[in-house]
Amino acid sequence: MLSNIGNTLLSLNILIGISIIYFSFKNLNNSKTLIGKKIYHLCLFQSTFIIICFLTLVSAFIVSDFSIITVYQNSHSLKPFLYKISGTWGNHEGSLLLWAIILTIFSFFFLFYNKYHPKNYRIYSLIIQNILILGFLFFLLFNSNPFSMVSPTPKEGLGLNPILQDPALAIHPPLLYVGFVGSSIYFSAAMASLITNYSGKLFAQSIKNWVLISWSFQTLGILAGSIWAYYELGWGGFWFWDPVENASLLPWFAMSALLHSLIVLEKRNLLYFWVIILCLLTFILSVTGTFLVRSGILNSVHTFANDPSRGLYILIFLSLMIFASVLLFFSKFKNNSYNLNSNSKETFILINNWFMIFYLITVLLGTVYPIFTEVLTDHKVSVGPPFYNAVIIPIVVIFLFFMSVGPRIKWIKNKFYNLNLLFKILIASIFINFFIIYLFQGYSLMSNFIIISALFLVFASLMDLYKSLKKQNIELPRVISHLAFGFLILFIGLNYNFSIEKDFNLKVGEKKVFENYSIEFQNLKLEDFKNYKAVIGEFNISKSDENLNQSLYPEIRIYEKPSTITYEASIRSDLLKDYYITMSNIDRSEYYNIKFQKKPFMMWIWISVIFISLGGFLRFFKNAKKYY
Amino acid sequence: MKIKIIIFLIILNLNVVNAETSLVDSNKIFKNLRCLVCQGQSVGDSNSEFAQTIKLVVRDQIKEGKTEKEIYEFLIEKYGDWIVYKPPLNKVNFVLWLFPYLVFVAGGTIIFLFLKKRDNH
Repeated sequence: MLSNIGNTLLSLNILIGISIIYFSFKNLNNSKTLIGKKIYHLCLFQSTFIIICFLTLVSAFIVSDFSIITVYQNSHSLKPFLYKISGTWGNHEGSLLLWAIILTIFSFFFLFYNKYHPKNYRIYSLIIQNILILGFLFFLLFNSNPFSMVSPTPKEGLGLNPILQDPALAIHPPLLYVGFVGSSIYFSAAMASLITNYSGKLFAQSIKNWVLISWSFQTLGILAGSIWAYYELGWGGFWFWDPVENASLLPWFAMSALLHSLIVLEKRNLLYFWVIILCLLTFILSVTGTFLVRSGILNSVHTFANDPSRGLYILIFLSLMIFASVLLFFSKFKNNSYNLNSNSKETFILINNWFMIFYLITVLLGTVYPIFTEVLTDHKVSVGPPFYNAVIIPIVVIFLFFMSVGPRIKWIKNKFYNLNLLFKILIASIFINFFIIYLFQGYSLMSNFIIISALFLVFASLMDLYKSLKKQNIELPRVISHLAFGFLILFIGLNYNFSIEKDFNLKVGEKKVFENYSIEFQNLKLEDFKNYKAVIGEFNISKSDENLNQSLYPEIRIYEKPSTITYEASIRSDLLKDYYITMSNIDRSEYYNIKFQKKPFMMWIWISVIFISLGGFLRFFKNAKKYY
Repeated sequence: MKIKIIIFLIILNLNVVNAETSLVDSNKIFKNLRCLVCQGQSVGDSNSEFAQTIKLVVRDQIKEGKTEKEIYEFLIEKYGDWIVYKPPLNKVNFVLWLFPYLVFVAGGTIIFLFLKKRDNH
C-alpha cells in the first residue's frame, strides 16, 4: 500500500513539474509584472507532495514494510528506532529521494523569497530548477525507485550495515545534501541570469543567502562525516583524503570561492562572469561527486560495469548539464574591462579564489587520477594523504598569511598599511611556536611554518574580533569564521605533531609499558545486545608522572543482520586530549592486537569547524533580517 | 632591523629542527602504505592479517637499517605502485605532481597580468 502511495506521489510530482514549466513559459509571454498565483500554488503542491512522499518512505521503514525492496534490503525489525528512520537515506534510492526534496524545497523558497527581483529572472530560475527536479524524478521512478516491490513479501529485512548505525552518520547525509544539493538553486539562478541578462549587484543579492546557507550546511555535513570516521572506523584519524570524503570537499572549495567573490560582485559590480562560473561549477562538482561515489567507479573501475545503468544515467545528466551551461555561458560571455587596483580588497578576494581553485584542482586531480592511469596505462596507483600533504600544506602556509591580511584591506584602493602591527603579530607567533617546541618537543620545518602561520591568522583575527566587538559592526560573522579557521589549522598542526600512537599485542592480564604510560588488559567479557553480540575488553591506562587512571572498553561486535564484524573504538575525551583504544582478535591465538592513541585537541578541531559554519549562519540571519 | 630579527629567528628555527633525531618512524611508514585487502585503509589503520604481515616486514627492514625510501622501493617492487599512498614521480605520475603547481602558477600569472593591465591605464 505504502508503495502505491509513494509511486503515485512521484508520478504526480512529475506532472506538476511539467506543468510548472508549461505555465512558466506561458507566464513569460504575458505582460503582467507579477508571477501568476497558479505557479505559486503548483510549487507549494510540489513541495508538499514530495515531503509526503518522503514521509511515506520513512513510515515504510518505521513499520518495517518489507514488501518494499529498499526497506527489505536496508532495514530489520529489531533495529533501533532512530536507525530505522536514518535507514531511509542510508541507501542509494532513499538518498536520491532526499535529493529531490531539497531541490524542490529550495526551488519553492527561492521563488517565494525573491519577490523584489524581476519576473523573468525568477521564472527562468524556476524553469531550470524544475528541469533538474524532473531529471532526478525520472531517475528515481525508472531507475532507482525507492518504492519497488518485492514478492513474495519477506518475513525479515537484511538490516542496515552496522557501521552506518550511528548518530553522526544519521545526520551526515541530510546536512551534506542541504549543502551540495542546495547549490542547485544558484546553478539555476546563474543560468537564468545569463538568459535574462540580469547581472551585477542585484543578482548577487538574490543568491548570496543561498550560497551562505548551503556553505554552512556543507561545512557541518563534512564535520559529521569526519567525526563519524574518527570514532566508527577505528582509524583514529579524522580526515583520510578518501575519494568519498574528497567528493564532499570539492563543492566546498567552489562554494568558499563563490562566497568571497560574490562580495566583490555585490559591492563593486565586478567579476560577474567569474561568479557565474563558480555558481555553475559548484553544482556540477556536486553532481560529479555523486556520480563518482554512486557509480562505484572510484573503488575500482570494474564495479562500474556491474551497475552501469545508475552511473550511466548520472553521467548523461551531468554531461547535458555541463554542455548546456558551457554553451549558454559562451554565448553570453563578454570581455569586460575591469577596474581593479592591486592593493585593494577585490584583489585579495581574487587571491582567495586563486588558492581555492588550486586546492580544488589538486583534490580533484588526486581523486580521479587513479581512474585515468588504470584506464589509459593499465597501471594502478594510489593517491593518498602523503600526496595531498606534500602538495597542499606548503601552499596553505602562504594562504593563511593572505587570509590574515586580506580582510584588513580597504575596497577600491588601500592607502594605509599597518605593517608595524603585522610585524609584531608575526614575532609573537614565532615566539609562541618556540615556546611550544622548547616546552614539549620539536617538529619538522613544515610544521613550524604551519603553526606559525596559523597563529598569525589567529592573532590577526583576534584583533579584528576585539575591534568588531567594540564597534558593533557587521564584520563579526566573517571574523568568527576566519578565527575558527586559524584555530582549526593550528589544532590540526598540534594534533598531528603531538599524537602518540602505539600498536602491540596483549592477552588478558598482561601489561604494556612504554614512555610514561602503562596499559593493562584487565578483563574480557562477552555480552548479548538487542541486535548484536559483543566482546568487550577492559583496559586501564595509567601514567607514571601524572595522576591518570582511565578505564577504556573497546569492543568487537558481531552483527547477525547483515552478518558483519565491527571494531568499536573506546574513546575518553576531555578538553585537552582524547585517549583512544581499538582492539582486534588475532586468529588462532589468545592475543589481541591493541592500538592505543593519544590525540591532543581533538575536541577543539570539531569546535573550530562548528564555529566556521556558525559564522556562515550568523551572516545568513543578519542578511535575512535586512532583506526579507 | 626588522629583517635582521626575522633572519635571526629563522636561523634559530632551523637549529631547532636539526636538533630532531633522525630515526625512521615506523608508524609514519604504515600510514603511507595501502592495505591491499581492505577498502581504502592504510596498513597502519587496518587490523587485517595482510596489514600485520606488512608491519612485520617493515619493522624487520628498519632493524636492518634500511631507510624509509628503500623500504618503499622494496614494497613497490613486490606489490606495485598501488601499495604506496604517495605515488612515485615517474612518467605515469608526473601529470599528477606537476599539474597542481602549473595551475597555481597560471592562476598567479593571470591575476598579476590582470592587475598590471589596470595599473598601466
